[in-house]
Amino acid sequence: MRRFVSNLLAVAYKEARVLRHDRAVMSSILVQPIVMLFLFGWAISNTPRNVPWLVLDRSETAVSRRFVGDIQATGYFQPPVRTASYDDGRQRLRRGEALALLVVPERFARDAAQGGARVQLLLDGSDPLTAARVGAAIGRVGSLFATDARAVAVAARGGPIALRQRFRFNPTLHDGTFYLSVLGVILLTNLCLSASSLGLVGERESGTYEQMLALPTTPLEIVLGKLLPHVVVSYGVLILATLLSGFVFGFWPAGNFVTLCVVALPFILASLGIGVFVSAIANTSAQAVFISVFFIMPSFVLSGLMMPYEFMPHPVREIGAVTPTRWFQIASRQIVTRGAGFLDVLGPYLVLWGMFAVTVLAIRWRMKPRLG
Amino acid sequence: MSWRRLRTLVLREIRATLRDPFTASILVAVPLGTLLLFNSILTTEVRHAALGVCDATASPASRRLVAELRAQGTFDPVALRTRTALDEALRRGRVRAAIVIPPDFDRRLAEVGRGGVRPEVQVIYDGGEAVLAANIEGYLNAIVARVGAVLVDAPGGGRRPGIEVTTRVLFNPTLDGQVFMVAGVYGFVFSFLTVLITAVSVVGERLAGTFDQLQVTPATSVEILLGKLLPLGAVFAFDVLLMALVAGFGLGVWPRGSLVFFLGVSSVYVLVSLAIGLVISATSGTASEAVQRSVLFSIPIIQLSGFLFPIRSMPGFLQWIVEAFPATHYIRVSRAIYMRAAGPADLWGDLLFIGVVGVLLFALAVRTLGARA
Repeated sequence: MRRFVSNLLAVAYKEARVLRHDRAVMSSILVQPIVMLFLFGWAISNTPRNVPWLVLDRSETAVSRRFVGDIQATGYFQPPVRTASYDDGRQRLRRGEALALLVVPERFARDAAQGGARVQLLLDGSDPLTAARVGAAIGRVGSLFATDARAVAVAARGGPIALRQRFRFNPTLHDGTFYLSVLGVILLTNLCLSASSLGLVGERESGTYEQMLALPTTPLEIVLGKLLPHVVVSYGVLILATLLSGFVFGFWPAGNFVTLCVVALPFILASLGIGVFVSAIANTSAQAVFISVFFIMPSFVLSGLMMPYEFMPHPVREIGAVTPTRWFQIASRQIVTRGAGFLDVLGPYLVLWGMFAVTVLAIRWRMKPRLG
Repeated sequence: MSWRRLRTLVLREIRATLRDPFTASILVAVPLGTLLLFNSILTTEVRHAALGVCDATASPASRRLVAELRAQGTFDPVALRTRTALDEALRRGRVRAAIVIPPDFDRRLAEVGRGGVRPEVQVIYDGGEAVLAANIEGYLNAIVARVGAVLVDAPGGGRRPGIEVTTRVLFNPTLDGQVFMVAGVYGFVFSFLTVLITAVSVVGERLAGTFDQLQVTPATSVEILLGKLLPLGAVFAFDVLLMALVAGFGLGVWPRGSLVFFLGVSSVYVLVSLAIGLVISATSGTASEAVQRSVLFSIPIIQLSGFLFPIRSMPGFLQWIVEAFPATHYIRVSRAIYMRAAGPADLWGDLLFIGVVGVLLFALAVRTLGARA
């Protein structure tokens, strides 16, 4: 056991020195968190904003103008552009100049006074997420619109049943919170899966792996020793990500940071393990890169990191559950946004350890001490 | 520049690629895998969302409301006794939203027709899942408004208050995320994966020393590079075709516009990714460096080009910057052709940009690298 530990530390020491001189890795460790921070915290968002829209107002009355004003007040839209004809409006939708066309009929004001007024809304469905939200927003404005004095009494209060809504954990429904809560997960997925996948192949290509086999170390010790510095670096990145989003965006974890670190350990190990496995089945660095792409992409796309996984169709949702990122993402969002404690994330935690065990078995199966 | 030498180099490259089954399969498998991976991830529909229900009334009216929420499989109600249980369920992520029906729901509901105070239903969303919460909000609002109108006689003798909005969705009537993603995946594959493939394979060649060997032949540097790039470009152009066919036959997603026009635009766009891949390979010493550079360079472009996140929602001046990315224009063109059946007349601005930037970048990359090699 003592020999195991000292061999492990020796390999880890060697690997750490190599890593320190790898400019590409070091710069990406430092630059990636900053790029991702601004990308996800500031630049991107799913909420529609500045949506260009057209109004064909055949009614031209105070009521119709008030209705257009109410829609404008939802905050999703740019000032409306008037269009002279239906065909012109459709033409502009097709050219992508606007996403919605509101057609107010001639008898709008009369119908409104009698109850039962209707308008037509043409939506460009080519961006379904935006179209769905914009459509729902305009529909809501319509259903709450007060058309006559008696209806005003009820409608001004918002329909027959009052709905008091509250967004827990993220009161303004800010998309940045959604992404910042998993900034560490994004960075670690990228780092752990790609960093270790090139390590062993590189050694094999340059012939140093054979040299290491000649040492009194077992392949398992070599693998674990090579992983150890990466674990340390990963924790550094996790701390960096948390500090950056805290200081720059004022977004601090609601839960305990120590809990996050505890849950991160099996995730880091499992992800690094997958990288090592890729390294073990690839013959050249180029191959390792492409095989790891096959692991990294599903980790980002299907895990629920970027898009909610809950409404994905069935086989796809289950494929995503095989990636460690799915479980760490769940745990991280629970701890960081909802302030969950360790017992709340026990499930994902155990699953991650299970995944690590599977990768270790897979590596042992592939990593025979082979030469050449 | 000699055409005969170039032809020899191209033939050599094709043979080398075909001999290595791994590379050949990667060139086909990566784009196709991406297509299949991405096509189904975007949904606007809410299906079987776990909804906590804390019903303090348990009257026919409140049960009616819950039943309507359950109808058509939109929500799966989970009964929660207390507010504490509700908070706990939200915190543990067991439910994504919860609805609280107060004890005086029935009494107030009876009075509202006579001008009494309306019953108040409280909804609490898990804002941590922002996208999900926004989708659920739309559905929940619509259902509660509908049920409310049924439960309470609308004032004014049965006349509907408000304005009925008849919505017609053009180009994608079911608001299906699939076409949106398929049309966007081309942008992802040809702005990131092909850049990565180009960068790694050219670096690999440099590391293996085969570039040096070719240098001592009469071939010029530019010829050597073109010999490497032309087959790669042809493979990528073939990938476009393959993806379009698989999307069409496999997923039933065909471009509404002209397929030939789309393939033409994509072949020009491939030049851009070849050029960027080349520049990355020239500035990287090892494969791992090339990978890190491609990732660092491509990820912001992918995220900002409108592939997943609308450009309109970005901060003002960033919207100007992303217009400078060829990827932005390519994704816009691809979606316009796929969904709105747009033709060259509708898209000439974007096409011109892609064409000019593609050719310029490619020429620049070959010239500078040719001189360096």
